[in-house]
Amino acid sequence: MSDRTAGSGALVEFDRTYAPHEAVLEASRCLMCEDPPCNRGCPAGVDARRFIRKIRFGNFLGASRLVREANLLVGVCGRLCPQEILCMEHCTRAELDTPIDIAGLQRFAGDVELGTLAPLPEVADERSQRVAVLGSGPGGLAAAVELRKAGYQVDVLERSGTPGGLLTRGVPPFRLERSFAESELEYAKRLGANVLPGRGDEDPARLLRSGYDAVLVAVGLWKPYTIGLPGEDLEGVHVAGDILAVVADGGRPDLGRRVVVIGGGNVAIDAATTALRLGAERVDLCCLESHDEMPAFRSEIETAQAEGVEFHTRTIPVAITGEGGKVVGYEGIGIRWKEPGLLVPSNAERIPGTEFRLGADAVIEAIGQGVADRYEGVETDERGLVAAEPETMATSRAGVFACGDVTSGGATVVQAVAEGKRAAEGIDRYLRSLGDSASGGGDGR
Amino acid sequence: MRKPDLSIEFCGVRFPNPFVLAAAPPTDSAEMIARGFDAGWGGAVVKTLGLEHVEVNLVSPMMAGLAYEDKNLIGLENIDLISNRHLPEVLQEVSELKKRYQEQVLIVSMMAGTEDEWKEITRRVQEAGADMIECSFSCPHGMPERGMGSAVGQDAALTYERAKWVVEAASVPVLIKLTPNVTDIRPIAQKVKEAGAAGITCINTLKGLLGFDLDTFAPIPDVGGKSTAGGYSGPAIKPIALRFVSDVAKDVGIPVAGVGGVVTWRDAAEFLLAGAGIVQVCTAVMRYGYDIVEELIEGLGYYLEEKGLGTPADLVGRGLPNVVSHEALSRDYKVVASIDGDLCVGCGACIVACRDGGHQAIEFPEDAAGTGNERIPGVDEEKCIGCGFCRTVCPVTGCILMKERESEA
Repeated sequence: MSDRTAGSGALVEFDRTYAPHEAVLEASRCLMCEDPPCNRGCPAGVDARRFIRKIRFGNFLGASRLVREANLLVGVCGRLCPQEILCMEHCTRAELDTPIDIAGLQRFAGDVELGTLAPLPEVADERSQRVAVLGSGPGGLAAAVELRKAGYQVDVLERSGTPGGLLTRGVPPFRLERSFAESELEYAKRLGANVLPGRGDEDPARLLRSGYDAVLVAVGLWKPYTIGLPGEDLEGVHVAGDILAVVADGGRPDLGRRVVVIGGGNVAIDAATTALRLGAERVDLCCLESHDEMPAFRSEIETAQAEGVEFHTRTIPVAITGEGGKVVGYEGIGIRWKEPGLLVPSNAERIPGTEFRLGADAVIEAIGQGVADRYEGVETDERGLVAAEPETMATSRAGVFACGDVTSGGATVVQAVAEGKRAAEGIDRYLRSLGDSASGGGDGR
Repeated sequence: MRKPDLSIEFCGVRFPNPFVLAAAPPTDSAEMIARGFDAGWGGAVVKTLGLEHVEVNLVSPMMAGLAYEDKNLIGLENIDLISNRHLPEVLQEVSELKKRYQEQVLIVSMMAGTEDEWKEITRRVQEAGADMIECSFSCPHGMPERGMGSAVGQDAALTYERAKWVVEAASVPVLIKLTPNVTDIRPIAQKVKEAGAAGITCINTLKGLLGFDLDTFAPIPDVGGKSTAGGYSGPAIKPIALRFVSDVAKDVGIPVAGVGGVVTWRDAAEFLLAGAGIVQVCTAVMRYGYDIVEELIEGLGYYLEEKGLGTPADLVGRGLPNVVSHEALSRDYKVVASIDGDLCVGCGACIVACRDGGHQAIEFPEDAAGTGNERIPGVDEEKCIGCGFCRTVCPVTGCILMKERESEA
């Protein structure tokens, strides 16, 4: 399915989707199980068997609309979801030969109406209550759509100038064509959500005081962690988020010939494969975890391997070396875990004699991101993650809800979508419990 | 290539094997037939010829396939006509072919109108050296509108009259190719027998309308926005062909050249069991080429060897005693569905099939939580009437068996 051409310098590559007859053929492999196990795997509650059945019997529009109803980000999830550990992991067909390519079929379903204006779902009677959604990433957008369907007035406040959050600024364009995120953003707008870029810096408490009836915090994780290595201040040391954001905005930063990436998650993989596309001849990825322990999706790891990224697993960074203020190398050492299963640096025991050096023109740190802000009256955990009640996504402050990575600490897009939908339900229940009298109505009071 | 002896005598003519190219595009020239013979076909029926004055005005396109899932040709619809080639030219080719290929059987298919015309074409075909003659009383499109083709084969009296004309003029065995587009083929086949023909070829194509283009509302194949019902062939029609072959072989008792949907040696073996003495193939050859005869020959050869049977003749009609009326079927033989838990993949397709298409006798177990058998369906033997539908939907070969019930007596 994939038409990747690493190293060609192309920053835009897309997974090819099925032609209609190919989609029908793949769908016809579906055993159409009773009590289908695949359906239990989707956090967003997409009815996989039903949309596959629709494709199989040629009802492509029906498939598109069914999936979009459950998951606004139908095209995005078809590309980013780790389906191999979700719906596809449970596919009965795997017992016979290979699982149904549910991801590919979802891409197909999502693309049926790509470039056209997908019809909007029915919106309940307009309600006067106003909800502010902080952040326009997957969780915020999913919630905004559900809230609009329920009739609420929704403003999506986005800190950056480019809405879409992770979808437009975090995932490299060769993994997700920006038009998908944009069309899905457009869908929320057409439903009546006001997306307001450049306005995400506001505190929920102040928003409540200024006339919103509820606030959803869906800001994601944007504060990059750094390791504190010797040499971290050298020219040529970057955090992954910065590089990815520049690339997402169309920039092509020159990272040099040799690039070392530190980290074992999806962002590290994205940084490594992006570096290849920016012209690096050799990319080394160094991480604490073994191959099997890496938090990145298997499919992404395999892609990076296939593209030639060199992996140095179960290693810990020692120093970044420089000359004349610029990066020239990276030093690391092999580790073993003191206590099995605890994959944190403090649990790593260095193995003498396993020191290694890599030449480097750039070092990219991709060891995770944290919460950028603190909010008045909203409880957080020791990592600064917003504590939310899992059923309703309500925070400790009445009227303030939270969803997505800012509560989970970093999960999948589909998980954020699922939480966004739950948060919308929670907000709906909360606002109904207040009654319409609580609202000043219209735009501002 | 393995060369088992599959020779068989049919209507007094020795065939090197029972696989014969049917009258159709693959037999429209000597060059094509020669390639077919070189590939191993035991015989060929030259595409239907008419006298010089018969105008053959073809349309295009004249073919379209019926697709299903990954197969783009489970059925083929054609509105082709008889050969549009000049009769003397083809007859010259027949003579030359006969000189080159003595072992293979060359049958010439023909169609005519009046008694004089039938007799004339019979004489000319024989003079060219045809080993046998096949008369098309069966083409379902184009020709019937002119009183030929299936217009003849749908009428017992016309069939008798014309068959008799040809038999009177012929010195080689005559086959009459009949149409399945009738309510009962047996009275018509009976008339063929009474007229003295050596055998019957059946079936010709089923008359069908393949479909419509949903954008233009034109039927398919689309001839400039219009189309017409045509002849439907291919794997989809095999069960219908087998039914006609067995009807004729069992109830009329005349040699039958079986044709309709044969693709593999298994299909061919089934036609032999149903009473066919030779098997004709067209659509599969058009789709896959002449070379598939290699698989027919080797496959049937291995099968006969495995079964300890001598020649294809030992199969001919061997299944017919087992084809009986519905009334004659045993009511004491009762089966019940049985699911092999070791083979079952747990899809539950049988549950859906039994619930919505059967007798609600199959369910996932209620008391299997934690055993690992949660998705292995159980059969309620009280409710199961042994219909056998679950077995047809199971994706695993041999997982669902219909087991004979213990006698209750």
